[in-house]
Amino acid sequence: MKNPYRSIEAEVLKVTTETPSIKTFLLKPKEELTFKPGQFMEFSVPGSGEAPFTPSSDSQIKETMEITIVKVGRVTDAIHELKPGDTVGLRGPLGKGYPLTKFIGQDVLVIGGGVGLAPVRTLMYGLFHMRKQLSGLVYRGGCRNPQEFLYRKELEEWMKRDDIDMKLTVDQGDNSWNGPVGVVTTIMDDIDVNFERAKAIVCGPPIMMKFATFKLQELGVQDRNIYLSMEKNMSCGFGKCGHCRIGPYYCCKDGPVFTYDMIREYPGIWE
Amino acid sequence: MLIFSDKNVFSSDCSNCNYLSYTIINTVESMNVFCFFKPLDKRASHLYFFAMLFIKRSNFDQLLESLTGDYRVYVPRLMGDGTGYSLLGESDTNYEIGKIRSFDPLKSFYFLGREKVAEDFKPDIPRDDKPPCIVGAKACDLKGFKVLDFVFIDDEFGDPTYMKARKEGLIISADCTGVGETCFCTAIGIDPWPDSEFDINLSPVDDGFIVTTGSDKGRDLVESNWKLFVEEDDAQANAVKQNRDTVKSDVMKRAQEKRIPVADRLKRLIDKQYESEIWKDVSEDCVECGACNTICPTCHCFLLYDQKSDGKLARFRIWDSCMIHDFARVAGGENPRDRLWMRLRNRFDKKFNYFPEVLNEIGCTGCGRCVAACPGKIDIREVLARLEV
Repeated sequence: MKNPYRSIEAEVLKVTTETPSIKTFLLKPKEELTFKPGQFMEFSVPGSGEAPFTPSSDSQIKETMEITIVKVGRVTDAIHELKPGDTVGLRGPLGKGYPLTKFIGQDVLVIGGGVGLAPVRTLMYGLFHMRKQLSGLVYRGGCRNPQEFLYRKELEEWMKRDDIDMKLTVDQGDNSWNGPVGVVTTIMDDIDVNFERAKAIVCGPPIMMKFATFKLQELGVQDRNIYLSMEKNMSCGFGKCGHCRIGPYYCCKDGPVFTYDMIREYPGIWE
Repeated sequence: MLIFSDKNVFSSDCSNCNYLSYTIINTVESMNVFCFFKPLDKRASHLYFFAMLFIKRSNFDQLLESLTGDYRVYVPRLMGDGTGYSLLGESDTNYEIGKIRSFDPLKSFYFLGREKVAEDFKPDIPRDDKPPCIVGAKACDLKGFKVLDFVFIDDEFGDPTYMKARKEGLIISADCTGVGETCFCTAIGIDPWPDSEFDINLSPVDDGFIVTTGSDKGRDLVESNWKLFVEEDDAQANAVKQNRDTVKSDVMKRAQEKRIPVADRLKRLIDKQYESEIWKDVSEDCVECGACNTICPTCHCFLLYDQKSDGKLARFRIWDSCMIHDFARVAGGENPRDRLWMRLRNRFDKKFNYFPEVLNEIGCTGCGRCVAACPGKIDIREVLARLEV
């Protein structure tokens, strides 16, 4: 019988400091471990505990994976202490991920905010791989200030691509920032797609997801086409421990990506 | 004693489930035998004997003693005015089948309060005990298995120790012969005697038990110990029926006094009263101790935590409580059920809304343990009655 509680051993190959509180870890699992964009992993430091994270790397890279982690608590404190060569545990992939095949032939809008840009990166790789099958691709990203943008170099490269309509904004600018200033919903008015049929993906802090969802509704995107990457307290990651229930669903097992029409009636979804 | 002799067993199609049914002929009269599905058991045969046999208490002691080789046999023992479980020892006959359910819920033996579930990065399952044999399990606790099985048994992410204990364990259930102060199983649609989920069932009568078998495993047990059994007589059969009728009507009377809404209305009531002030009102008596969760035969929430031992990974699964403040809090600080009344409401929503929706079963068994355990005297029966307003 398979032991679903068991982690696979992985080696930390590289640690990149993105911001003072965010690091990206390049990991090499010792057994085959693949995932689909939107699925998540339980990442553990032996003896210190586990926490769920969505990988931030290209899911087509099989040998390694990157996970970007904000330091916010006990487990992430231990993770931030990790150095190359250290051993960690990975359990997964868990959850359902984005239904990419449903995006074929459609305009796809990606709205990312803050550290939500990490899982969005995996999704963007997935979407770039299938770009020819998409009708259009729009990216709107926001952060509190320019220093908070993750993978800035990559974002700049994507900005240069001609197969994506991409804009970034910050809540508060500085001397280095030439772009728009304001929350992400302020750079959504010029999006030019068929909203009636477009697929929208929202990933970011709860407050940003809430207002981005309302903005998308206002623009005419259907609730069933708004894909939200939900964050709930998860322990087991496969629908048994009971922590992440949303109405009849478990965020881990049935999500973490839900369409808004699935969950809009349940209380506390934005908290 | 001809019951299990081949030439006296005839098969025919069962009128209820289209599978074969056996009719056992003894020298005096024929006895009809029922059959039913037991989805957990993947063996080819879906047939179970329901032959009625009598076993003397002293023979039953002997039967239990013989089981200690293959099982960890847990028996109910008198504790105050009820019973609690502990392991059967050698030449140990100091147990009572118990009038009603024990203090401790049966989940304690299948889904341990604290259990090591992984070590290092090894794929092995850490625990490898003998499977449990639970003696005297009551109908309410067996209903609890329907919920726990739904949660813990699945192909991809099934809980290995739970599944192993369920598959290899033995359940010797028993009819209730009394009514507890807080019992209300009939209001949830459960009879106070087991009708499924057991291997053998005991119906207490003078000097022993009438035994029915409910699975292949139970039938094998009876067959291989057939010398300990005799056929029941009419007086015993009547005594069983009379006890069942009396206990059921007593539980019903008690449940009716509490004005508990009928089972099929409960889901709609939770929906209807979702925004009610009842939750705030009731939660004022809650001290957030989590006793209701711990004692509940269907509460299954747990937490995984890793422990350091020489820098190596030891992962434990421990019971958790949805009534505790941080149960749903995320690392970033957001908490969808920040207030106590929200957590209380969530507990009722899970039992009377979530499980009926996903499993078509109420996540409450009417065992009344939470009523007895609550230091704030929150009474689930009264809360349900208030929802009906």
